[in-house]
Amino acid sequence: MKRHLRLFLLYFAQYAKVRMAYKADFFIAVISSMTATVLGFGFVLVLFSKIPRLQDWSFYEVLFLYGFSLVPLGFFNVISWNLYEFGDVYIIQGRFDRILLRPVHTLFQILFEKFRLESLQEVLTGTVVIAVCVQRLRLAWHGADYLWFALMVACGAVIYVSVFLILTAVSFWFEDRVGIVPPVFNMLTFGRYPLTIYNVFIQFMLSWIIPFAFASFYPTTHFLRRESFESLFHLVPVVAASFFVLALIVWERGVRNYSSTGS
Amino acid sequence: MIGAHAANCAQWAGYSMSPIVLVENLTKEFRTFRRREGVWGALQNLFVREYLTVRAVDGVSLSIEPGEMVGYIGANGAGKSTTIKMLTGILVPTSGKLVANGFVPYRDRRHYTRHIGVVFGQRTQLWWDIAVIESFKLLKEIYSIPEANYRQRLGVFSEILGLNDYLHTPVRKLSLGERMRCDLAASLLHNPPLLFLDEPTIGLDVVAKDHIREFLKEVNRTERTTVMLTTHDLSDIEELCRRILIIDKGKILFDGDLQEMKKRLAKFNQVKFFLKDRAQVARLPLIATDGISCERVDELTYLMRFEREQHSSAEVIRTLVNTLAVRDILVEEEPIEDIVKRIYLSGEVA
Repeated sequence: MKRHLRLFLLYFAQYAKVRMAYKADFFIAVISSMTATVLGFGFVLVLFSKIPRLQDWSFYEVLFLYGFSLVPLGFFNVISWNLYEFGDVYIIQGRFDRILLRPVHTLFQILFEKFRLESLQEVLTGTVVIAVCVQRLRLAWHGADYLWFALMVACGAVIYVSVFLILTAVSFWFEDRVGIVPPVFNMLTFGRYPLTIYNVFIQFMLSWIIPFAFASFYPTTHFLRRESFESLFHLVPVVAASFFVLALIVWERGVRNYSSTGS
Repeated sequence: MIGAHAANCAQWAGYSMSPIVLVENLTKEFRTFRRREGVWGALQNLFVREYLTVRAVDGVSLSIEPGEMVGYIGANGAGKSTTIKMLTGILVPTSGKLVANGFVPYRDRRHYTRHIGVVFGQRTQLWWDIAVIESFKLLKEIYSIPEANYRQRLGVFSEILGLNDYLHTPVRKLSLGERMRCDLAASLLHNPPLLFLDEPTIGLDVVAKDHIREFLKEVNRTERTTVMLTTHDLSDIEELCRRILIIDKGKILFDGDLQEMKKRLAKFNQVKFFLKDRAQVARLPLIATDGISCERVDELTYLMRFEREQHSSAEVIRTLVNTLAVRDILVEEEPIEDIVKRIYLSGEVA
């Protein structure tokens, strides 16, 4: 564990150093990432200038949910860079060989060799927005709320990682890029609004097939004191753990199926 | 634990000594599907697939003793790299037994990798964007190499391989020869007892090749590191290995002493001679008879080739000096390249 922490810090420091060698490039990445986030919030503002409430969700409640959805997603974005390129870079070019030759878990290397640093901005922005909403909604957080918050963020990030890990592992079997990742990636935006506004089919799908609702909507219901969802809120860690175990199993089977490249 | 593994593997194979690598009946099949061409073909590919099974490695058995340096050769696509990838734990065999340094590579992969070094000539194992020395520092953490050992080994490697000039250069800016030296040093920082090299001298100039060979000899001598290397450059093998393995179409064709192989399989002898003057050239057809070929090397240098069973060198030379005015004569064995070429072409050791 201690060795892995040291390794993580070293990987992070090395990557940050490489990234900072091209300062302008990094600066532009941060600016564009922030622009995208701000535009997202702008949409919520525009929406609520037309309507007073979204079903029975007030402006600050929706804003809270939107802000919360950014925090675990931000952490996920920071470490998921290699997952997007995995099929092309690691499987087709055979770079996975190198990963397999080292006495560190393959996932550790894939997730922590490259970081999308600018996405830390999402974590920060999301946290600030949540803090504002907690104030405006007079939620009066206690010590336990902060702990729940940290746990929910962790669970959300784990759920995102697990879902995309399973999709990424598909490249171990199908080298031709099947293109299932982009549509699923687009589904992430569903998590920014209350689940109850969608039709039953989408609600079911986001809860039990691709459990993004457990990474944003169900966690926030607890903080917004919506008691009807309390049991689903308590299920969040269970869903996160189960999907992570499932992802690990699929991943390991994929690794055993890896066929490298010629020569 | 390692000891127990080793004892087990010695037991099942019935070996009294314990080899560091033991392979029995190793087979790897790849299932690929035939891709149809064009847009319509690509659509069809999604739904209907015709699978083809290719057996890249077909029942290979071999054993390597600690401290050996073994050359593993074969034509392109013969199954060399696939074997190495199974031995290093990258690929899971389709069937067969495989134990290396007391581990089953694909099963115990993460523990096993601490005990091996691997260099692929075609692809670097280092981080592309960061300086060589930073890559080494990462490896130090990854393999938990104690500081003192790390410093000592880095010092020795830098000196023998001459790394100091480019330790602070990012890997992507290195020349092929420099990169290869760094890769080699990186693969040995954790002092593995077992080293796999897949075409370590590919594309290198004579000086770089020489550097790398000397380094390997040194490591083998001082650390008793067991080395298995594949190469297309047979001079690598002649310089480094006593033992040679030849693989063709996934099967081992020859496994044994290199000199023995040459003795057994060399079919031709060759006599190189230097003419006294240009006038002699016209008389050359007189000697190129009866299964003796004569080809030009340069203006006054020629090479005669003949089957050993058909002619003795003494008799050939006698005819030569009686017929032509010759300044100098060299009798040579058939080059190993020619022997191996014949084996690749015929697919058998005859």
